[in-house]
Amino acid sequence: MLLPLLAVIVLIIGWPLASTIGLSLSDARLVGTAGDFVGLTNFANTLGNPSFGAAFLNTAVFAFASVAIEIVVGVLAALLLDQEFYGRTVLRALMILPWALPTIVNATLWRLIYNPEYGALNALLNQTGLIPDYRSWLGEPSSAMAAIIAADVWKNFPLVALIALAALQTVPKDIKAASIVDGAGVFARFRFVVWPYLAGPLMVALVLRTIEAFKVFDIIWVMTRGGPADTTRTLSILVYQEAFSFQRAGSGASMALIVTLIITVLAALYIATIRRGVARA
Amino acid sequence: MERRPLLQTILVYAAAVILAVVIIVPFAWLAIMSISSAADLSSRPLNWLPQTFDFSRYGKLLTVASNSAGQAFLASLRNSLVVAGMATIVALIVAVPSAWAVSRHKQVGWSIYLAIATYMLPAVALSVPLYKGLAALGLLNNVFGLAAVYLTILAPFTAWLLKSGFDAVPREIESAAMIDGARLDQILRRLTLPLAAPAVATAALFALLLAWDEFFYALLFTSDQRAKTLTVAIADLAGGRIADYGLIATAGVLAALPPVIIGIVMQRALVAGLTQGGVKG
Amino acid sequence: MSDLNIEGLRKSYGNAETLKGIDLSLEHGEFLVLLGPSGCGKSTLLNCIAGLLEPTAGDIRIGGRSVLGVHPKDRNIAMVFQSYALYPNLDVARNIGFGLEMRGVPADERARAVARAAETLQITSLLKRRPSELSGGQRQRVAIGRALVRDPAIFLFDEPLSNLDAKLRSEMRLELKRLHEMLGATIIYVTHDQIEAMTLATRIAVMREGRIDQLADPETIYRDPANLYVAGFVGSPAMNIFDAHVVAGQHGPAAALDADGSTVALDPGLHRNGTPGTAVHLGVRPEAVRLAVPGEPSSVTAKVEVIELTGPEKLVTATVGDVRFTARLDPNSRVAKGETRQFVFDPRAIRLFDRATGNALTAG
Repeated sequence: MLLPLLAVIVLIIGWPLASTIGLSLSDARLVGTAGDFVGLTNFANTLGNPSFGAAFLNTAVFAFASVAIEIVVGVLAALLLDQEFYGRTVLRALMILPWALPTIVNATLWRLIYNPEYGALNALLNQTGLIPDYRSWLGEPSSAMAAIIAADVWKNFPLVALIALAALQTVPKDIKAASIVDGAGVFARFRFVVWPYLAGPLMVALVLRTIEAFKVFDIIWVMTRGGPADTTRTLSILVYQEAFSFQRAGSGASMALIVTLIITVLAALYIATIRRGVARA
Repeated sequence: MERRPLLQTILVYAAAVILAVVIIVPFAWLAIMSISSAADLSSRPLNWLPQTFDFSRYGKLLTVASNSAGQAFLASLRNSLVVAGMATIVALIVAVPSAWAVSRHKQVGWSIYLAIATYMLPAVALSVPLYKGLAALGLLNNVFGLAAVYLTILAPFTAWLLKSGFDAVPREIESAAMIDGARLDQILRRLTLPLAAPAVATAALFALLLAWDEFFYALLFTSDQRAKTLTVAIADLAGGRIADYGLIATAGVLAALPPVIIGIVMQRALVAGLTQGGVKG
Repeated sequence: MSDLNIEGLRKSYGNAETLKGIDLSLEHGEFLVLLGPSGCGKSTLLNCIAGLLEPTAGDIRIGGRSVLGVHPKDRNIAMVFQSYALYPNLDVARNIGFGLEMRGVPADERARAVARAAETLQITSLLKRRPSELSGGQRQRVAIGRALVRDPAIFLFDEPLSNLDAKLRSEMRLELKRLHEMLGATIIYVTHDQIEAMTLATRIAVMREGRIDQLADPETIYRDPANLYVAGFVGSPAMNIFDAHVVAGQHGPAAALDADGSTVALDPGLHRNGTPGTAVHLGVRPEAVRLAVPGEPSSVTAKVEVIELTGPEKLVTATVGDVRFTARLDPNSRVAKGETRQFVFDPRAIRLFDRATGNALTAG
């Protein structure tokens, strides 16, 4: 019964993974020579490489900023959608749209919006008098990462909102009523009535989104290719460049493995913290 | 619970309007760009509604004239459909037995965790060996090769979703059927799968959406119309030196249509599938 | 000054009117049960009193003061919910003291109040536990404790025993009765279970479709139901109902059963104004039906269909014509299935109801 899935995992994941590990211990090129065994040199070089450190920082900034904003905005949107008002069903249905939009289309759309000569953002800000001149949002190091984060948040916060909304709707009405009779105000109600039911799914969403964010490639590739001046170069982009642009397969493999390790450790930390938090609550 | 002061009602509606605007406006802009004339798009100040409508890009992209942008676009559309379809079907075939086995027999639970652990791997980690492997097998730039690679993403994910779906089908029904003399494959085909049909459908949809959205492997492993998928085609357009942003927007609209339509129609099922799997997992 | 006064209360949702004009007043220490099936409006009425819903019309006064528009926390009420509604992530002590905490009552005062309530309910040993670690009965006590600690003017109970199994339910019923007598509290209690109503209430309001059909003490409700609906709702097994007509009898009005024409004697005191020819429903409770002594007049001939020996009594179901009725007999009675026997209805227990309106035809 398990055989097919295990076969897939072994064949298409396990073997390449083993091969990557093998590559990481050699100085192989992408095409051509198989390379010689060099032990842990690649790993040492990677860890000592300032580009790697910079890429890690960029990735961390991207991940934590976008996930944090997604969660806050998502929960606020869910709280709103939990209220009763005309058009609520329609608005809820609309929320799935940004998630359904293919990542590439989203990236392209925002790239067009951020366009330095004709983009909609520049036009809007200029016409409302907020900025004096058009800016190159993706071309300036100071704004490029923020612009990408905005595009990523827009795509992903609705999904967080929908997950949070589903959690909100599991809150039993009786407990809400009891807390009202007990005199709990809005914040007390959120803390004591809503949060216990929201925390679980939200933590799951947090872990999943953070792992996704650390792996990010597509949206950055399309919007800036990692520029300007490598300010938006994240770990996945760095690895891609190392292995496929510079064709240093061995070195690239070692980077990829370190990245995987980082993600796994991060996820484990999260999950441990959540487990402890849930046990305490 | 039904008491709501006027101020709160006003705030709720204001927030709802803001949320609706935030979600809809980028979509609307994409659509408007696709039918705005080039002159409108490059005007300063920007014309928010085009003075001249230009529907020609849809025609351009949907023609089959040889060597046209349309031919390339339609070819990539076809490739996306074929790859996503094949990968989804094979993923389901692989995942259904494993998910069922894990659902019914707790001892093999580790395999699901193994499958989920593969989620930690960034695509770059496996890319080099996969590239070399596909090259050796002559499957580079080939829809079958790409579909095989997609299995690495789709199979574990669908197995995870399907497990929750099978968990919801009571074991007693299968026990009753066994006492009645049914064989395992009969039980699966006639009882379990029909009862779990909504979960299977949801998993299939998710798989399709994931495959449709995939960019990195497609970028690496395809190079021309024979296998290039929609995501790569659009990234090509966006990154290229095409001055007609309307054309890029049009490609985006067309690429977004299938998942967006699925999203709107299936939004309840999709969110339910995600939250169920997430909370239990 | 009564503890609770409700005048002309109405509640509508759009076009549907859930409460169609409720009037009642409650004195201190009363235990009022709102009894009725699902959808009759009893929970809506309770929620209006609590302040969780605002009525469309009418007035509610607690302790002489109108509470329309007043927030639930300021109405001097406490509520116990069917699902207990305990805060899952707080321990029992904090659950009980939550209302006080929200009011800013200092911690030591809170602790004392919580300890007192816990002792009254015998849950002192559970104070550090979480709701998920408690049994259903224990959770119910914590919910009651949460209400107790606020020392309100009125306690509101919303079907608190519905989630418990039968044995626990009867135990908790005794508990509630004991609490009521010990505290002298004023209680409004919603239920669809007529046994709870009969055993706990000082007065019962039988509700149907948004109106109170009868408001009286349990004995009156049982002995003199205001209409057919109330008669059928309270009492188990249910009151036997026959179609009949008033006829002129030897000593005054009598009733002739439509099923087979046999005449049944009526108590002259209760029904002296009965007009011959009136179409009625004749109601008589199973305990008022006995086997006739041979030769006894005014007996009804019926065929015995089912005999159920419950231990303390024999429930005999018999048919006259095609109408079924039940008699509560002494467990040693000699009856056999399939026999044709004579039954007598106690005239003092017979109640007549107008066939058209269902209302009781009371003594003039």
